[in-house]
Formats: sequence, C-alpha cells, structure tokens
Amino acid sequence: MDFWDKIRHLDRRVIFILMVLGVGIPLVTRIGLPIRITPDVRRVYDFIEGLNPGEIILVSYDHDTGTLPEMIPMSDAILRHAFSKDLKIVGMALRAEGSGIGRQNIRRIAGEFGKEEGIDFVFLGYRPELTATILGLGSSIGRVFPKDDRGFLIEKLPLMQKVLNYGDIDLVISISDDDTPVYWINYANARFQAKIVPAVTAVMATTFFPFLNSHQAIGMVAGLKGAAEYEKLIGISGSAGRGMDAQSIAHLVVIGFIAVGNLAYFLGRKK
Amino acid sequence: MDIGFIYNYLIASERLGIWIAAVLTLAIYSFLYKDNPIYRFAESLLVGLSVGFLLVVTFETTILPKALEPVAADFGRVFVKGQFGMIGSFIWVLVPLVLGLLMFARFLPGAGWISRISLALYIGFGAGASIPANMQSYILSQIDGTVRPFLTINNLLATVNAIIILAGLISTLFYFYFSKAHTGAFGMAARLGTFYLMIFFGATFGYTVMARISLLIGRLTFLLRDWLGVIS
Amino acid sequence: MRRSFPIIVCFAFGIVMLAQFFIPSGFSSNVRSEITDWAQIIYASALIVGIVGLMKYHAIRISRRSDGWFYNLITILSLVFMAFIGFAFGRMDGSPFMWLFNYMMAPMQASVFSLLAFFVASAAYRGFQARNAEAVLLLASTVFIMFGIASVGNSIRPFSDIAVWILNNPSMAARRGIFIGVGLGTIAVSLRVILGVERTYLGKE
Repeated sequence: MDFWDKIRHLDRRVIFILMVLGVGIPLVTRIGLPIRITPDVRRVYDFIEGLNPGEIILVSYDHDTGTLPEMIPMSDAILRHAFSKDLKIVGMALRAEGSGIGRQNIRRIAGEFGKEEGIDFVFLGYRPELTATILGLGSSIGRVFPKDDRGFLIEKLPLMQKVLNYGDIDLVISISDDDTPVYWINYANARFQAKIVPAVTAVMATTFFPFLNSHQAIGMVAGLKGAAEYEKLIGISGSAGRGMDAQSIAHLVVIGFIAVGNLAYFLGRKK
Repeated sequence: MDIGFIYNYLIASERLGIWIAAVLTLAIYSFLYKDNPIYRFAESLLVGLSVGFLLVVTFETTILPKALEPVAADFGRVFVKGQFGMIGSFIWVLVPLVLGLLMFARFLPGAGWISRISLALYIGFGAGASIPANMQSYILSQIDGTVRPFLTINNLLATVNAIIILAGLISTLFYFYFSKAHTGAFGMAARLGTFYLMIFFGATFGYTVMARISLLIGRLTFLLRDWLGVIS
Repeated sequence: MRRSFPIIVCFAFGIVMLAQFFIPSGFSSNVRSEITDWAQIIYASALIVGIVGLMKYHAIRISRRSDGWFYNLITILSLVFMAFIGFAFGRMDGSPFMWLFNYMMAPMQASVFSLLAFFVASAAYRGFQARNAEAVLLLASTVFIMFGIASVGNSIRPFSDIAVWILNNPSMAARRGIFIGVGLGTIAVSLRVILGVERTYLGKE
C-alpha cells in the first residue's frame, strides 16, 4: 500500500482523536474570533426590541435533550432580551423532554431578572400532537391548557387572564430540533396570522429559508452561531460565543479532512 | 435514616450528579473505540429512562387533565350529587376517554380491529386539517414569494436573484416530475434542477456539520468545565 | 364493517376539519376545538400503547433468554423505576424524577447525539470526493457554508456574503421546489385518505 493509499484508508479513530483536539484545544485556549451578525438573526432581535413592555411572547420548547448545547444558548439569549424589556413570557412544550428543559430554563432566567411566575411568566407544560395543539391555541389557550405545569388553573393566573388565543400573543418562538416550526407556520401563521420565529438546530436551518423569503417567518436563529450572534446583539458573553472559537477551528479541521481525502483520492487514483 | 435524608444529602448533591453524568458520557463515548458491553448498558439505560419519562409526562399532562379529570368531575356531579340533568355532559366527556381506551383493543386477540376507529378519526383529522394548511403555506405562499420580487424590482442584483430563484424553482420541479423521461429540453431543465439540489444538499450538509460539532462542543464543555474544572 | 366503519369515520372527520377552515363562526371553532381535544387524547393513548408494546417486546426477549436479554432487562427496570419515581414523588423541579432527567437521561442523550460529530468527520474524509460536476457543486457549497457562516470566513466579507447569498438564493430555490412538491403530494395523499382510496393505515384484513 503506497503513502496515499494509507492516507485514504486511515484508521477512523485517528480522525476521531483529531476532532477531539480540534474542538478541545480552542475550548481551553480562548481565541475570541469575531462574529458577524446575519440579517435573519437581526430581524428577530429588531422585532423583539420593537415590542413594548407587557407585550407577550409564546416560547415553545419543541426539542429533546440531545440538542441542548444549541437550544439552551438560544433560549437563554432570547429570554434575557425579552425579560430585560419587561416582556411577558408564556412557555409551553410540544415535546415531553422539552417540557422539563423549558420549565427549568425559563425559571432560571426569570430568576436573574426578579420575575414572578404567574405574573411575568407562565409555563403551561407539555401537550402531545402538534397539529391539534397548535390549532387548539387558535381558539382558546385555556382549553388546551386548563392548568399550568404546576397544576394551577390558568384562569386564576394574572398573566393568563389577558391571553385568550393567538390574537393576544405578539410573537411565537419555536425552539426546535426538527421541523416543528413548519407546523407553527402551516397552522398558526397560515390560519391565525401569528408571527413566528423558528429558533432551530443548524441541521434544520436550510429548511426555513423559503419561509423567510416569503415572509411567513419574521427571522430565524439557527444553531450555536445564531445563538452567538444574538448574544452579541444583546451585549453579553455567553456560552454560544465562547463555543464559536471551537466551532470555527473544528470546521477548519473538517475542511482539512475533505481536502486531504480528495487529495488522497485523486493522487492515489493517478497511480 | 429515611429516604428523604438519603435524597437530600446524597442524591441531591450536584457533585454526585456531575460524576454520574460524566461516567455515563464516557460510557457512551466508548463506542468510538468499538461496540462494548459498557456502551450497550448505557444505551439500554437511556432507552428505559426516556420511555419512563415520556410515560409519566404524557399521563400527567394529557390523559389525566383532559380525559380522566373531566370524567371524574361529571361522574361526581351526576351520580354523587344527583345532578342527573348533567348526564348528557357526562356522556360527552366519556367519548374521548372511550376513544383513547379503544386504542388498547389491539392487545386483545380478535378485537384489534376496534382500535381502527380511533385511528381513523385521528387520521381523518390530520388529513382534513393539513389540506388547507399545505395549500396556503407550502404552495400559495411559496409561489407568492417567488413571483412578488418581479413586481417590485428596483436594482440589477435583485433582478438577477429573482431570476435565479425562479429558474431554480422551475428546474427543481422539472427534476421531480418522473412521469416523463428526462430527455431533450426537459432533461436539460431537470439537470439544472439537479445542480440546484446539489447546492442545497451541500449547504444542508455544511449546516449539519455545524450542528453536530456544536453537540460535541457541549459535551466537551461539560467534561472539561463542570467535571474536571479545566476551563472556567 | 371492520374496515368500512373506520373508513366512514375517517371521511366524516376529514371533511369536517377541511370544511371548518372555510367557515368562520363560533360553532365551527367549537367543533374544531372538540375534535382537536379528542385527537390529542387518542395520540396520548397511542403513545402509551406504544410504550406497553415496547415493554411486551423486551419482556418476551427476557423470558426467552434471547441473545443480549440482560440489556432488555436493564431497559425494563429503568423504565419501571423512572415511571415509579415520577408517579410517586412528582415531576417538579428538584424532585428525584428531574434529578434522573438532568444527570442521567439528558447527558446520555446529548452524548449519543454528539457521537454524530465524529461520524460526520469520518464521512467527510472518506466519502466526500469530487468525482463529477454534481459532487463538485455539493463540495463547494458545503465548504462555503462551513467556512463562511461558522468559521473564520464569517468575518471575511466576500466569504460571508457568498455563503449568505447561496443560502438565500440557489439553495432556497431548490428547497422551495421540494416544498411545493411536498405540498402537492400531501394534498393528494390526504384527499385519497379522506375519500377512502388510501387504506394502508387500517393494516391487514
């Protein structure tokens, strides 16, 4: 086996070790690479920035625990922005695991701003079946969620007394690791003209560009990069920004793999 | 020594939790070397815990408040308090509970067909709801988004972009039309569609790499910061 | 009867859900709300049926001492334990249920997904060769996105601008074509289901 054949058939565990080093070393030694804001994230920021105190954002945690490293920084940044502007947050989940994450996440960030559950924010809990839940919220949120996640009747909660359906909600943000925001757009936006922002894992980002282009979604926050951009916009140094150094170097490592793989393929083939 | 003591002083300790999380993380990562019993143990544990979690949350957030509690409340009103005028309401709230229970008929030999009733209702509901939603969102709005830029063109770049998008949309639709052979002019249009699709798949793969690396960053951050304390 | 009655039910509820979209009245809205409630309960019941089926599968493997039955036992025991802890002690923040979620379930789930980073890198190394024009386009698009969106190229104007242009123009156009195809296909299949032409959801005779 000549040199390029050996390179082509490199043990994959060597590739794994190089990946760990490519991600781990930048985590330990901070570089601080600049982050450029994309128009899609800026539109989300500008929309929330334009809301008045007391206006309401529905945040739906439509993801599992597998994608937390992307979802939590996005959620943290958006919630911090919203609470800093005294906006009210109604939380819910369309995935069971998202309900555990969302409840803890909203309470943690709300605690930083001294916000009170039932008055400044509410977590309604989990409902299965996307279509039924999203359509149901268009008629009556109280019918879909008669009680909040703690078991209190929502008609008794001060915040929920002014939130009947989508007409009382100024923005819906779906934090998702799959195509759930498409359901929000198909049912909540198409039927009830709710304003939707997908905050999605990077895998799903390319799915939503057609909706952004046709103005069915306000903007989009995609992946760790989107979360880092949002953190920069609200002026905080969060986990997403710190993770972007590792992201940048790891991408260079993968591009290097592609380059070496192609070199080995063509040079090995020539012989 | 009661269970509360054990829970409060041992289990509730975040440090113990972090160690357990770290050991389970490394157990999963042992798969990178090769498949082994430690990985399989962790995988089986994950499946069991996940399904147990789903069972509890689904029952407590949906079955209990939306099916069982309304039935219990109306049962109490009709048969305990004697408000027999509410019998119609009681029968009505029984309907969804019965529909849910019919799903379990598939476990009964010879009676599995009964579960088709509930399934058919659900399928019909989904199919009926999806038709106008798909028409509005996937077709009409997308066509609108493609055509509208031509009505408001004010610079060369916008014109070129609008033409590129229109060409891409039409050629992609040509590609996915398999009822006609991809030959001649039709074939050329379909091939152009292939090129657009390759650009799309490449962009998606680039974002996929980004997503997966983010997940690895999350896990390494946990191991280096929360577990080992190497980074702040 | 065993097949015709469900088909009639499917038709009835499909037509009602389709019609209510076009009827803006309080009655129509109430009908929609009622049906969505029923659909949620059926869906939740189906989830529990699935869980019971899963337990049955693992129990059979344990009883037959099939290959790897010990792992089936671990699955059942952990499922029962998690469910018991949740029902007995509640699922609110600070409960043993959420402790298991935060320190066992979530870390393992995140670790399983993060394994994909390694396999994506391995796939990029071994399988991503520029063998023809289509592969070159795929490769170029991937590299521009990786470099221009989430790497050092993000702060270098031409690379960043090209990446954003690719995402908002040719890539978006192809995705839009796929969406229109999906939309037309979904409408066709939904109509077939409602009209009883498509009956695969009923299973075997």
